[in-house]
Amino acid sequence: MPENEIDLRVQLGPMAMKNPIATASGCSGYGEELAAFYDLSRLGAVVTKSITLRPREGHPPPRLVEVRAGMLNAIGLANVGLDEFLSEKLPALAAFDVPVIANVAGSTPDEYIEVCRAMDAAAGVAGIELNVSCPNVAHGGIEFGTEAAALARLVGAVRNVVSRAALLVKLSPNVTDIAVPARAAADAGADALSLVNTLRGMAIDPWTGRPALTNTTGGLSGPAIKPVAVYMIRRVWQEVAGPRGVPILGLGGIQFPEDVIEFLRAGATAVSVGTANFVDPETCAVLVDGVRDALGRLGVARAADLVGRIETPGA
Amino acid sequence: MTRQLEHDVSPARRLALPILERHDAGADYVRLVLGGPADWVSLPGQFLNVRCGPEPQAATVTERREVPYIEDGPWPQTTGPELARRHAPLVRRPLSISRIGSMPDGVRIEVLVHTIGTGTRWLAEQPAGTVLDVVGPLGNGFTLPLDGRVAVLVGGGCGMAPLFGLADVLADLGRDAVLIIGAPGVARAPLEFETPPPSANRAEPCTLAGAVRSPFETVFATDDGSAGFRGTAVAAAEAWLAGRPGNARAAFYGCGPEPMLRALADLARRLDAPCQVSLEEFMGCGIGVCLSCARKMHDPANPAGWTYRLTCREGPVVEASDIVWEK
Repeated sequence: MPENEIDLRVQLGPMAMKNPIATASGCSGYGEELAAFYDLSRLGAVVTKSITLRPREGHPPPRLVEVRAGMLNAIGLANVGLDEFLSEKLPALAAFDVPVIANVAGSTPDEYIEVCRAMDAAAGVAGIELNVSCPNVAHGGIEFGTEAAALARLVGAVRNVVSRAALLVKLSPNVTDIAVPARAAADAGADALSLVNTLRGMAIDPWTGRPALTNTTGGLSGPAIKPVAVYMIRRVWQEVAGPRGVPILGLGGIQFPEDVIEFLRAGATAVSVGTANFVDPETCAVLVDGVRDALGRLGVARAADLVGRIETPGA
Repeated sequence: MTRQLEHDVSPARRLALPILERHDAGADYVRLVLGGPADWVSLPGQFLNVRCGPEPQAATVTERREVPYIEDGPWPQTTGPELARRHAPLVRRPLSISRIGSMPDGVRIEVLVHTIGTGTRWLAEQPAGTVLDVVGPLGNGFTLPLDGRVAVLVGGGCGMAPLFGLADVLADLGRDAVLIIGAPGVARAPLEFETPPPSANRAEPCTLAGAVRSPFETVFATDDGSAGFRGTAVAAAEAWLAGRPGNARAAFYGCGPEPMLRALADLARRLDAPCQVSLEEFMGCGIGVCLSCARKMHDPANPAGWTYRLTCREGPVVEASDIVWEK
C-alpha cells in the first residue's frame, strides 16, 4: 500500500492527533529539550513532565539505575511548578504545531483540582493527563490510583473543572486488576486512559547491601515491562475501553515501530514513548515514519483501524 | 578564541562516528579516536553520550529481525558501576571529550574509556572501523577567566581526559599552565606514556614520552608512590605551586573522583583562586529530560539555599564554589 495513502490520524477523546506517537511524561522534559533533535510538530502529541502546584526539587540522587532491559527511576516529581510551567515552558511549546498534554500530579485532591483548573484555562494545553500512579513519592497520587473509590472521587472532582481540555487518567500497573481503576476512571468521566505507568521495583547492590536508589524503591521502565503493558492494555481494552469507547494512550517499553503496532493491536489508540528517548533522542520522530511503513506492509489504510485487532487462536 | 569557540560550538546531534584508532592505555583504559564531521566544534569539558551494544539502532528497523544477544550473566547483578554486567546496556554511556585533532575532511575526537561495566567493556572491545552511535557534543565546557593566572589542570584517573583537551586550547591561546595527573598507582593508571621514577613528595615535572603528549609541564602523582609524586594529585598541585618562583596565582581546573574534586575546591578556597570542576554522575539521557543526574548546588535565590541542577545540561563543568558537597 502506498505510504502516502496511509492515514495516521487518531482521536484521543476530544483531542485529535496527526499520528499515534506521543512522548511520555517524565521522559521528554518540557518538550523543548527534544526539539534540538527534531521538529516536535512531527509528533502526535507532547506529554510534559508531571507538574505540581509548587516547584519540587525531587529526590536526592542517585535517582536512576540501569537494570536488565530497563531502568529504575525515582526522580520524585522534580518540576518547575505550575506558575513557571505556564509562564515559561508552555509558551515555548507554542512554536510547534503539536498538541500539548500536561501531566498533573498532586498530593491532595485540592492540589489536583487547582492545577487542572489552571491547565484547562491555558489555551496551549490540549489535554491533561492525571498522574495518579507515581510510585516514588509518599503522596504523589498512587494512593488514588490503587484505590478505586478514591480514584473515582478525584477524577470526578477534576472533571468538574476540566471542560475544554481532554482529560486522561494515567493508571498504575501496581494493582491486582487494572480493569478496576480503569472502570472507575471511565465512570467518573475520563476522556481517555493512559497505561501503564512504571512498575514499582528495587535494586540492591549485593556487595554493599545498599539499595541502588536513594529512594530505595523506584519505577521500572523500558523494554523489560513491555509485555506487562501489552497485557494490561488488552485487559482494559476488553473490559472497559472497547465496550465504552474510551480510548487508551498505551505506554510501557516501546522502542521500535513493531512495538507501536503491538500496542495498537492490544487496544491502544495512541502510544507514549518514554525510556527509548534516552536511548535515542530521535526515537519518537523515527517511530512516526516507522509506523507508517509498518502499516503499509500490513496493508492497513488507517492507524485507527488496527486498534484492538488481534488474531485469537481457534477463532 | 574561547568566546569564538563557544559561539561556534556544534548543536547536539545524533551521529554515526567510526572508531579510527584504538589504543590500549593501561589495564583498565582504552583510548579511542573517533572520526567526527568537519563542522564539529566542541569545548573542552563537553561530553559524548555513546550507545554501547550491538542492538540495532533504536527505531530505525521495521523488518522482522534477529536481535543480537549478549550472553546473560548470573543473577544477581551488581549495581552502580558494576551494574548489569552481562547484558546489552539500554541507556548510553557519557564519555568526556578529550582532545580534538584535525584531519582531512573532519576532526579526530579522542575519548578515554574507563572499563568499569558492561557498556564500557563493550566499547573497549570494539576494533577500529566500528561505527558508534553517538549523541553530542553535550553539556557545557570549561571557561577560561585566567587574568594572568597560571592554569593548574588537575586530573584523576579517567578525569585526565578532558584536561588534555583543555591543555591543547590553553596552549593555542599561549597561556601558562601545568598538568597534574593523579592515579592510585602506575598499575591502575590510564597510561600511554612513560611514568617518572618515584620522587617522594617533590612535585617534579616529567616528560610524557609515548603516544600521549602534553603541551605543558606535567606532574605525575600516585597515591602509593609507585611513580612520581607520592600523594594525591591535589597535594602535588599544591607542592608544585609552592615550588614555583614568585607568588604564582593559580586558576584550577579539575576532573576526577569526588574526593579529589572536593580537596581541589578546598585548596582553591584557601588560595582564593577560581576553580572549575567537571562532575561525573550517572545519566539516563544526557540531554536534560530524565532529570536523574541532579547535583545539589548553592542557590541564594532558593529559600532552601540550594537547588538541584542537572549535570548534563547545567554541567558537567561547574564552579567548585557552587557545589554543596555531600559525598
